[in-house]
Amino acid sequence: MALIYSFIVLLLASYINADKETLVLLDNLAIRETHSIFFKSLTDRGYSLIFKPVDDSNLVLAKYGQYLYKNLVIFSPSVEEFGGSLSVEAITKFVDDGGNILIAGSSNSGDVLREITAECGFEVDEEGAAVIDHLNYDVLDQGKHTTIVADTANLIEAPMIVGSKKTAPFLFRGTGLIADKENPLVLEVLTASSTAYSYKPDSPIEEYPHAVGKNTVLIAALQARNNARVVVSGSLDFFSDEFFSSPVQKALGGQQYPRSGNQDLSESLTRWVFKEEGVLRVGKVSHHKAGEKDSPQYYTIMENMVYEIEIEKLEKDKWVPFDAKDIQLEFVRIDPFVRTVLTRGADGVFRTEFKIPDVYGVYQLKVDYTRVGYTFLNSATQVSVRPLEHTQYERFIVSAYPYYASAFSMMGGVFVFSILFLHYRTNEEVKKKSE
Amino acid sequence: MTASVTSVVAKFYEEYSKTTPSKLKLIDAYLFYILLTGIVQFLYCCLVGTFPFNSFLSGFISCVGSFVLAACLRLQVNPENKGQFEKISLERAFADFIFAHMVLHLTVMNFIG
Repeated sequence: MALIYSFIVLLLASYINADKETLVLLDNLAIRETHSIFFKSLTDRGYSLIFKPVDDSNLVLAKYGQYLYKNLVIFSPSVEEFGGSLSVEAITKFVDDGGNILIAGSSNSGDVLREITAECGFEVDEEGAAVIDHLNYDVLDQGKHTTIVADTANLIEAPMIVGSKKTAPFLFRGTGLIADKENPLVLEVLTASSTAYSYKPDSPIEEYPHAVGKNTVLIAALQARNNARVVVSGSLDFFSDEFFSSPVQKALGGQQYPRSGNQDLSESLTRWVFKEEGVLRVGKVSHHKAGEKDSPQYYTIMENMVYEIEIEKLEKDKWVPFDAKDIQLEFVRIDPFVRTVLTRGADGVFRTEFKIPDVYGVYQLKVDYTRVGYTFLNSATQVSVRPLEHTQYERFIVSAYPYYASAFSMMGGVFVFSILFLHYRTNEEVKKKSE
Repeated sequence: MTASVTSVVAKFYEEYSKTTPSKLKLIDAYLFYILLTGIVQFLYCCLVGTFPFNSFLSGFISCVGSFVLAACLRLQVNPENKGQFEKISLERAFADFIFAHMVLHLTVMNFIG
């Protein structure tokens, strides 16, 4: 009896949403206390957090080929080596297989952290360096001007990732990142102001700093081509209780905000990075001739074709119909022959009607929707277009009507001429006849 | 210069209307009609382009063929040429003309598309 009950419990337990399993790696378990508000907000949203010290020798991400966690939080900036089966390669493979990662660094980041972030497309400054801003530091700064105030104006234009921009400014104390501007997948979520730079606070500056001005990225994000998301913050203190509840005021004069915007931003960021927000998927795709309902085997050139696609968005664990005005459809045979905008109907389905071009061949109906903050949406459907059959051409060509007319007039002319010619009598013949 | 050309043309016209039998004049009028149709067709093709080329060829050949056959009929019917066409009577000439036209129009209708 007990066996049956335990079996049922196990069965039910396996249905717990596996997307919320999160492994949190910490330098020391004190971080669990100093960042309690952040972790509580995650558990309130349904995430099951597993806290482990980063050098635990039993660390494992996957068992029997299946990942135990969907998300990874690395709050261990000074790690020298991962414990257990974890390594930079294992973490990179985790992202390649679709896992999401939230990483926080600090001024004393270990080299392992540098390797992981390098795999994701960002460069962390060297050991001991911090972001320094002599004009935008907080009143509570210790004197080195490393506790800086980042304005909401330095946030990326992406409400999907950062929420609304109407929060208080952010407090930041940590190292700076640089992101390759050529990389199309990397997003600079929060940059420092143009007066900031990243260098060791105690050393005189003898060489060009790692990052200067707006190039100094405080929080960076990556959405990989398989839609896995990685967010790297240069400051572990950004997520701390101290910074969440601290008032913000620039030391060189500025408005005092009773509470920093750190908690709001971290909530939006975790929503985005753990795939609660900004996730799209393609539902049903169908195409048919205008006026019909079923998909034909093939189309003929210059026919009217209707394309329908269902796109859904994840909202609070439910898939709801998506709404956008800029989704395009391409009708491609090596080059796009037709490119139109899909309009949303009342039933939530995006559709469009267009005329197939005068060229036959094998085409693809492609929808490629790439927008900042949303997962990459790709859909391709193959369709064959045949040329006109022998009987589908016009019977009489309008521009050849003069030729038809002349041929018939020649025939008519012969007929009239031969009648006249045969019945023709000259005056002499008439006279002869009448004699 | 122009005076001599106009006088030549006027003299030609006068001689033509006096000496040509009416039957030949009938054939000449018919020939002129075919010529006009052919020229109009050719100009149309030059303007519009050769798109249904088979239709153009067919219509044009119909004109040219009819012209040639009518010219042959005129030759055989002309009393001045009686010496060269002894074995061919008027009726035979006309019958040949009609038969050749049948073949011509059959071909034209086939090719005109």
